[in-house]
Amino acid sequence: MATEQDLQEFETQVTCPDDFDEFWDSTLEQLSGISLKPVITAEPLRSNDDVHVFNVTYLSLGGLEISAWYSLPTQGDGLFPAVINFPGYKSEPPVRRDWAKKGVAVLSVAVRGKLKSSSEFNPGYPGLLTSGLESKENYGYRGVISDCVRGVDFLRSRPEIDSDRIYACGSSQGGGLTLITSALRPEIKAGVAGYPFLCCYPEAMSLLRSYPYDELACYARAYPEEVEQMLETLRYFDAVNFAPRIKCPMVVGIALDDEVCPPETSYAAYRALTSHKELWLFPNSGHGNAHDYPGQERAWLEGQIGLTAVGT
Amino acid sequence: MTIAANLFWRETEAVLAELSVDVRLHRDDFYSQPDWDVFQVRYTSADGYRLFAWLSVPHGDGPFPAIVRMPDYGSVHDLVYTSLRERAVVMNPTYRGQRQSDQVFQAKYPGLLTEGIEDLESYVMRRVFADALRSMDALTGQEQAELGPVAFMGAGLGGTLALAVAARREDIHAVAANTPMALGNPASLQPGLAYPLAELDDYMRLYPARRDVVKRNTADLDPITLAGKITAPVLLSLGINDTGSCPLKFGEELAEKIPDCDLRVYRGASEGGGHEHAQIQISWLSDKLGLG
Repeated sequence: MATEQDLQEFETQVTCPDDFDEFWDSTLEQLSGISLKPVITAEPLRSNDDVHVFNVTYLSLGGLEISAWYSLPTQGDGLFPAVINFPGYKSEPPVRRDWAKKGVAVLSVAVRGKLKSSSEFNPGYPGLLTSGLESKENYGYRGVISDCVRGVDFLRSRPEIDSDRIYACGSSQGGGLTLITSALRPEIKAGVAGYPFLCCYPEAMSLLRSYPYDELACYARAYPEEVEQMLETLRYFDAVNFAPRIKCPMVVGIALDDEVCPPETSYAAYRALTSHKELWLFPNSGHGNAHDYPGQERAWLEGQIGLTAVGT
Repeated sequence: MTIAANLFWRETEAVLAELSVDVRLHRDDFYSQPDWDVFQVRYTSADGYRLFAWLSVPHGDGPFPAIVRMPDYGSVHDLVYTSLRERAVVMNPTYRGQRQSDQVFQAKYPGLLTEGIEDLESYVMRRVFADALRSMDALTGQEQAELGPVAFMGAGLGGTLALAVAARREDIHAVAANTPMALGNPASLQPGLAYPLAELDDYMRLYPARRDVVKRNTADLDPITLAGKITAPVLLSLGINDTGSCPLKFGEELAEKIPDCDLRVYRGASEGGGHEHAQIQISWLSDKLGLG
């Protein structure tokens, strides 16, 4: 098990490319030129007395149609605060009815490659982490991150949503995407990143032998001549490089026995945060299974939202 | 076991017996490691459905103990690393509708739990159990690795499938099941549960007249009907706050019905014992499989 001292002593070799902001500004500009074209379809099977559930689609980078579950309270006309929930690497986005029941809208995004958003991009799992590594422009995560950004744009476009109260959360890949999206969309007011993936790739792929990071080790073994380019591409997608650009309060949750996302790498992202930040360490816990994490996440976000005055 | 459940399993076995397993292996050069080879495996299940599995085989001479890690309720069943992979054959089989076994049918999540539930013949989950049985046939039918003792493991739906295979197939030496899904048991039909079991309540809310149909068409899959037939030792973990897969009362009843069950109860939810239990499970499996 890693100790807090191990985390503090860890130094990543990841550096930020000089044209990092230029690259992402260009991507965001490209996104702004694509009409969102949202389509909202009721899902009676998932709806109940407390929560209306909808399937949402919108257009993202490359004109790809992205799907999401959208949960709205049945009580009140808004303006509702909203939580955007980013998915893990291999799991499908959940239908979140818990917060909607309490007066908070939730958008649970199926980024490209997920079942609901896989018609034009479907590298699989394993597969996504190495898809398009030959260049930063073609790397699959450029699209995945764009899909998350567009999810925020969707919420901001909705008349029932209070655009000043949009919050983000997710675990594992969802934790990494929480950090990254919060850097690219300052409209996110606070976030909780659990067990964050997408941090310190060069170290993560060698500290453990577990997937998904091991996909990178497999790639390096199969294409040794491409390793330099791979690491260069990944610098543009490393949450450590996004962290200093985040302006909102952020929590990072780390399991000290995390066997999937090495705790040192997640801690490096936490350390790089310059906004108000909070660290939750879970000893004797592994990836995604700290018993107290879900409750702490819920309580912290509800505190940020101020649940006593919502949905009216 | 009820007469209906007994008939279901007999018919399932008969359907499988009519078809050749037709196991085909293809070495995956990209995911093979310095210490073990990785194979993509394809084989035939009920209805002629071709299924996919990952198989890793340690370097060196066998026989090797084998661990079959049954898939949970989700689209991906990937190459999860286990420290036992260097010394044991590890198979990660999928069921129909999961990625790489989705050429004919793509399962939805949520959605699979009620796919075709209005009719016994069309209810896909019944075939998922056939696919689980077929994984053992495929493992024993492959010729890449000489096998020693075999253990099945899984969490959620994977835990239930592991128990079902152990009840229906001989020569399984141990089962490690975490929070096995209560599908088929009345506990799965209660209101207020979390996903995935909540899918059943969603369906009954939208189609209240079909409540009895749901109850009838899932009943044969109740893990408790098979529990008494499991001869292998079982390590079972539960979470006291689990409302999405294995409600505590159901899990405790299941444990009582399994002849040789080591029950561990934790304060978690569907993650059961989480990291703590994962360590216990590795040690327990190592002991049962003679891995030292």
